Amino acid sequence: MPADPLTPPLLEKRLETGERVMARFQVDLDQRLQFEKGLLVLTNRRLLCFEENQAGPQPFQDWVLGEIAGLSMEEMGATAALHLTATAASANRHWRFTAGLVKEADTFVACFLDQQRALDGGVPSAMPEPIETEGDDEGLGFTDLMPDATHGNPLLRLLKFSRPWLRLIVLGLLLTIAATSASLLTPWITGVLVDKLLIPLQTKSDEIHLRQLLPYAAMLLGTALVAWLLKWWRTFVVARIAELVTSRLRRELFEHLQGLSLIYFNKKRTGDLISRIGTDTDRLSLFISVNFIDFVCDVFQFAFTAFILFKIHPLLAFAALGPVPLVAWLVKCVRGHLLSGFAASSRAWSLMTSVLSDTIPGVRVVKAFAQEQREIERFRQTDHHVYSTNDRVNRTWSFFSPMIEMFTDLGLLIIWVVGAMTVAHGSLTVGVLWCFVTYTTRFYGRLEAMSRFFASAQRAAASAHRVFEVLDVEPDMPATEGTRRIGRLSGHIEFRDIKFRHGSRQIIRGINLNIAPGEMIGLVGPSGAGKTTLVNLACRFFDVSEGAILVDGQDLRDIHVEDFRKNIGLVLQEPYLFFGTIGDNISYGKPDATRDEIIAAAKAARAHEFIMKLVDGYDSMVGERGQQLSGGERQRISIARALLIDPAILILDEATSSVDTETEREIQRALDNLVHGRTTIAIAHRLGTLRLANRLVVLDDGRISEIGTHEQLLKTSGTYARLHQAMQEVSQA
Amino acid sequence: MNSTATHFDLQRNPAGNLMYTDAAGVVHENVLPLRLFPLTDPEHWVAITSSGGQDLACIEDLAALPGPTRELLLDALAQRDFVPLILSIHAILRAAHGYEWHVTTDRGKTHFTVENDESIQPLAGGSIVVMDHRNTRYLITDPATLDLKSRQRLERYY
Repeated sequence: MPADPLTPPLLEKRLETGERVMARFQVDLDQRLQFEKGLLVLTNRRLLCFEENQAGPQPFQDWVLGEIAGLSMEEMGATAALHLTATAASANRHWRFTAGLVKEADTFVACFLDQQRALDGGVPSAMPEPIETEGDDEGLGFTDLMPDATHGNPLLRLLKFSRPWLRLIVLGLLLTIAATSASLLTPWITGVLVDKLLIPLQTKSDEIHLRQLLPYAAMLLGTALVAWLLKWWRTFVVARIAELVTSRLRRELFEHLQGLSLIYFNKKRTGDLISRIGTDTDRLSLFISVNFIDFVCDVFQFAFTAFILFKIHPLLAFAALGPVPLVAWLVKCVRGHLLSGFAASSRAWSLMTSVLSDTIPGVRVVKAFAQEQREIERFRQTDHHVYSTNDRVNRTWSFFSPMIEMFTDLGLLIIWVVGAMTVAHGSLTVGVLWCFVTYTTRFYGRLEAMSRFFASAQRAAASAHRVFEVLDVEPDMPATEGTRRIGRLSGHIEFRDIKFRHGSRQIIRGINLNIAPGEMIGLVGPSGAGKTTLVNLACRFFDVSEGAILVDGQDLRDIHVEDFRKNIGLVLQEPYLFFGTIGDNISYGKPDATRDEIIAAAKAARAHEFIMKLVDGYDSMVGERGQQLSGGERQRISIARALLIDPAILILDEATSSVDTETEREIQRALDNLVHGRTTIAIAHRLGTLRLANRLVVLDDGRISEIGTHEQLLKTSGTYARLHQAMQEVSQA
Repeated sequence: MNSTATHFDLQRNPAGNLMYTDAAGVVHENVLPLRLFPLTDPEHWVAITSSGGQDLACIEDLAALPGPTRELLLDALAQRDFVPLILSIHAILRAAHGYEWHVTTDRGKTHFTVENDESIQPLAGGSIVVMDHRNTRYLITDPATLDLKSRQRLERYY
């Protein structure tokens, strides 16, 4: 990255005495849409423009505010432009920037307009605080916003997650050490056995009786038993830790997901999220319970055997362990390769899950369009992707075990050669050599296990990263933000000059609307006009970008979200029924509802009759999407669900648009009961619903274009009249 | 599809905006050309829309247009098109929310944040589209043509 050409002194040099910086805006493109930074600075007197490329044709330009006739922003797809019109046409200037900066540009333009108003003698509406140039850490804006420090190694974070079970973990470690020590005794005993018993027996040099074998055999048996018991206990303790940790992970993941806004879920594929909560945490569990503990064991044994080897015969130990640095170096070399391999494999896996969760619910469409072969091909491809990524990484790590085996053989070879010479020399007994060989074999065995751990650690790191990636998503709608607790609302809603921007798209461009308690508003307009967005804002699924929504005179953002949602009944175009009984589904918003209440709600929703006819009545199970029920029936259940919580505010999002006329009439009757006495916002196309409304609000391109009753709007022959005519033509056809 | 490639006229008005005259001789001021497949087939299917967003014409193949008209159209498209082609990847670093990519594109060096794996998607024809957290799209036309280091970095994240 080139050094920042613009440091605070450069701006200060340009500022006159008494001139204050009011706003700044950094553009990221030049006129030809090449990445090139530029900085616009608004002061109380001038607009200054700096180019990052100081060697360029015009590194600095400025305009006195009085010379500027206008400053406006134009969105141009993926980019946007800021147009400056000067009183002298020659001083006109355009800046380009990526669409992601539109919001900042908007603020900058607003600041500019404020300054101009102030200059014209008026008092600026909201005088922004001048930006301090002195001691400004960010210098002059060209410093890039560096991301926060990374959250650290994902596996270390996993350790933090296991904190509550610290005592259990310490127990596990102690057991591991004890079990390992016990099993390490065996070669030692064997060594002594060889020297004290076998060699003398063979050479018959001393009077040795075979009976002397017994204590050794007993010792060997004893250590084996103790090692077995300790290992059993250890394995169980460790497995429990692993389950506890991953269960906490899964729980927290799910809790965290529930706290995220709809925007996040719109961006994410369901299959990927499911695979993160399911497969990735499972991999972590396996890692903790098997690989990690094995590793601790191995490290301990490794260090211990090395220690013993050096204790027995330093020279021989040096010779035997000669190839170790080579192994360490090799491990270091393939590390990055393994990590990326496992990350790719995890991604391939989630891609496959995504294809499944895409195809299986969509099976009706697949069959209807006879695209089974295409889906089979799509699955085959992703499956092959899983195979090839795994295959690629397997190639690397499968190289390891045989390689270490080779090093073991090499180490042993060295021992046999050097050992034989030392035995011949007389400074080493055969028993000690035997013991030495056994320890060396173990040593290399551990080394091999450690190298395998290394692969599994990389795999676990990849999984842990995927898990923490979800946990690190900041809830963009903090539920804690609004603290005011409320009871039942009266249902007065006021939209006060609200704007909403999603990404670079401005969806709501300034809406003012006052809805009285108990009033029913029908929202009409072409698709993409912002109807659903407006309703989502009213439910506080998103927050407004500008302006405010007030319910009963209180800002929505100050109110506790859950309290507010208890006041809202939502009926969607596609009713979603959860797996469970019909009764459970109706009482979803109020789990402690009595049977009496459930039946009353179903009756009011005109669902009672068809529910009665079902074999299991209210106890009938409905599936994922309630397949056994028709669209209208499901809709009436969702209306009953909304009725049961007796909401002050009711939102109907095209509740009747996906059913036939007959069913619509039934739903309509159910809705009549529902809307009575409640503030209702209904997005609708059906005339039946629209006629019910006290007022109709016609939205067009994020603004209100018409307001009035059905009759009034028909007379004005505006947008609504046109829509109405089209609707009638459709219904007559 | 009304691919009226020859029955229209495109001019620049004095203000520098595009002016479209359709087959019937009706003049539309301030028209906007839009690529319909900006990622998978930028050279074909360009729509000309009115300032109100109405579809006026659809050109199947830009190469079939007479020279000056094509120049004019390409020029207007260049004003709006912004899909930088990633030529090499210098580093992909872990950042607070996702990964920070440092790249050289056909529009110069830049860096951007990619929030999640779904932001990197394969397109038909083997190219890859990368979406940053601000919704700017970057294109890798053919991963196989990237240099070895870039390809390795890409493989880690895709």
